[in-house]
Amino acid sequence: MEILVGSLVAGLLIGMLFALIALGLTIIFGMMDIVNFAHGEFLMLGMYTALLTSQASGLDPLLMIPVAGAVGYALGVACYYGFVKFLLRGPMVAQLLGTFGLMLFLRNLALLLFGSEDRTIHSGVLVNRAFDLGMGVVVPATKLAGAVMAVISFAAVWLLMHRTRTGKAMVATALNRQGARYMGISTERMNGLAWGIGAATVTIAGALLVNFWSVTPYVGLLFTMIAFAIVALGGFGSVPGAFFAGLIVGLITEIPGFWDFFTYLTGSSWMAGISMTPFKYTWVYLAYFLIMLIRPRGLFGWKN
Amino acid sequence: MEKLKNFFDFRDLPRLDLGIAAAVGLALLVFPFFPFSSFAMSTVIQFLMFSLYGMGWNTIGGYGGQVDLGLAQYLGIGAYATAVSMIRWNTPFWVSMPVGVLIAIAWCSVIGYSVFRLKGHYFAIATIATSLVLKDIFEVWRFVGAARGLEIPATRFSSPDFLHLFFTQDDTYYYIILAFFFIGILYVNWFRKSRLGFQLRSIKDNEEVARSLGINVQWAKIKTYAVAVTFVSAVGSFHACYVKNIEPEDTMSLDISILIALMAMLGGAGSLWGPLIGAGILIPLKSYLKEWLGARAGLVGIDLVIYGAIIMFISAVEPRGVWGIVERIRRRKRA
Repeated sequence: MEILVGSLVAGLLIGMLFALIALGLTIIFGMMDIVNFAHGEFLMLGMYTALLTSQASGLDPLLMIPVAGAVGYALGVACYYGFVKFLLRGPMVAQLLGTFGLMLFLRNLALLLFGSEDRTIHSGVLVNRAFDLGMGVVVPATKLAGAVMAVISFAAVWLLMHRTRTGKAMVATALNRQGARYMGISTERMNGLAWGIGAATVTIAGALLVNFWSVTPYVGLLFTMIAFAIVALGGFGSVPGAFFAGLIVGLITEIPGFWDFFTYLTGSSWMAGISMTPFKYTWVYLAYFLIMLIRPRGLFGWKN
Repeated sequence: MEKLKNFFDFRDLPRLDLGIAAAVGLALLVFPFFPFSSFAMSTVIQFLMFSLYGMGWNTIGGYGGQVDLGLAQYLGIGAYATAVSMIRWNTPFWVSMPVGVLIAIAWCSVIGYSVFRLKGHYFAIATIATSLVLKDIFEVWRFVGAARGLEIPATRFSSPDFLHLFFTQDDTYYYIILAFFFIGILYVNWFRKSRLGFQLRSIKDNEEVARSLGINVQWAKIKTYAVAVTFVSAVGSFHACYVKNIEPEDTMSLDISILIALMAMLGGAGSLWGPLIGAGILIPLKSYLKEWLGARAGLVGIDLVIYGAIIMFISAVEPRGVWGIVERIRRRKRA
């Protein structure tokens, strides 16, 4: 029973952070129908920003979240005005490969600057703290902080989109670009803003993730794929969808835990013989594939 | 017979193109007689292999407009089919290659049947997802060597072994892949004028209209996918014999899939020479940048930084690739 509850809690906690990672991707996709392959690389840069600035300044990694957010915002805006703006004129093929080029560029720039070794955070308020909830459920403080921050960020983005003039202009742009332009909305500025916010949320997620996940220049791809799966499940462009889909994908990554639980429950030997751990993320890819086939709009999709 | 003539019929192309192509073809034929370094030799072999991958991608992605970013999984199937059967049962290359192609075609029909209902980004990411699933399976599957991969021992066969494609000299490998290369060009030349080629281009332009004209869109896509997969998987088998050491990471990773797509993209998707131009630019650039900057100066990753920057530049400025530039110049001259 402990395994089951433990896996459930772990899945939901990591799922919230996954949702935060995917939030930026879904905002960007919703605004301009462009799939950003470099999304995981933004996350990686957020992780490095938090790690290096906290090591350099001696402050706690948690305090570096605003720094990571600011770096991410600047990066996103720079990417839009310096690069993506030109991509949007071209065909879809060029957009796909263009953001892939961005991914190669950022990943290897990080490799050049930071080297290829694994880096982890060793000290900090959250590191190695945990709350024992009883029933054998231990919640690491790092993951809890990630989940809390994810909820705050989602609430903030939702409020921004629905309660402010700028946010409403963004939604209008997403719904109908030409119509929005007729209404006097600078769609160009909205796109830039979407890239800024999208990149800022993912770098903030990176600053939280680095507390319990070691960082290398190659960390991005896995999270890009997870974010794709979440965005596909939640519906491309849907913010609430991304949150719930994040939880589901978090639970999917805990399949090895559930597998162990059912192995124990049924006492079957063939289940014990199969290790599920190497397939931890295979299920995520498979889930993406199945969602696309069964319901391409996702659970909460509003775009066709 | 009539059909066969179409393979060699290049008459619709400008004379200048054919002249350049013939010159390059001749240069490739005599290339091993010049005393180039073995590094240059392996770069040219890489170029030929990636042109073939690119030609494969070009049939489905260029003429058909279906951006597949998971073709490396078929490269892996071909490479593993050859390596596994050669190591376990001493199967000759010329048997294992067609078998690998058949397995790849069977697998691609399963994948293609389901993913060809999707369009645009959805299709591209779905193909990535399938290739990652297959790679994950290969990384834990002990029969195919799991994550450490397979190695054909260097003393397995005595050197000039045409059955198993086992040579110590790169020259022989070179001529074999060069033969594949010429066959590939002739095939694509036939393909672009075939019934399927025209059907595919009309699907690319407008799928609804194509369907209303009585084209079985799904079937046409799957047939073309099988063609693309044949190219990739056959060269994948060659890759296994040539490199002799294969791992899931360097045969099936996403980077390889994208590289394949990039050959055609950079050169010009949907044109006969596109993948060749793309591979001709990218492969030497990649290997020499790595050699000069990566290995000598100790700057790990700088080759791929430049590479990424080039991809970004091309996709932002001239999305139709080098061939797009050529065609634009030609149009201006005519006008």
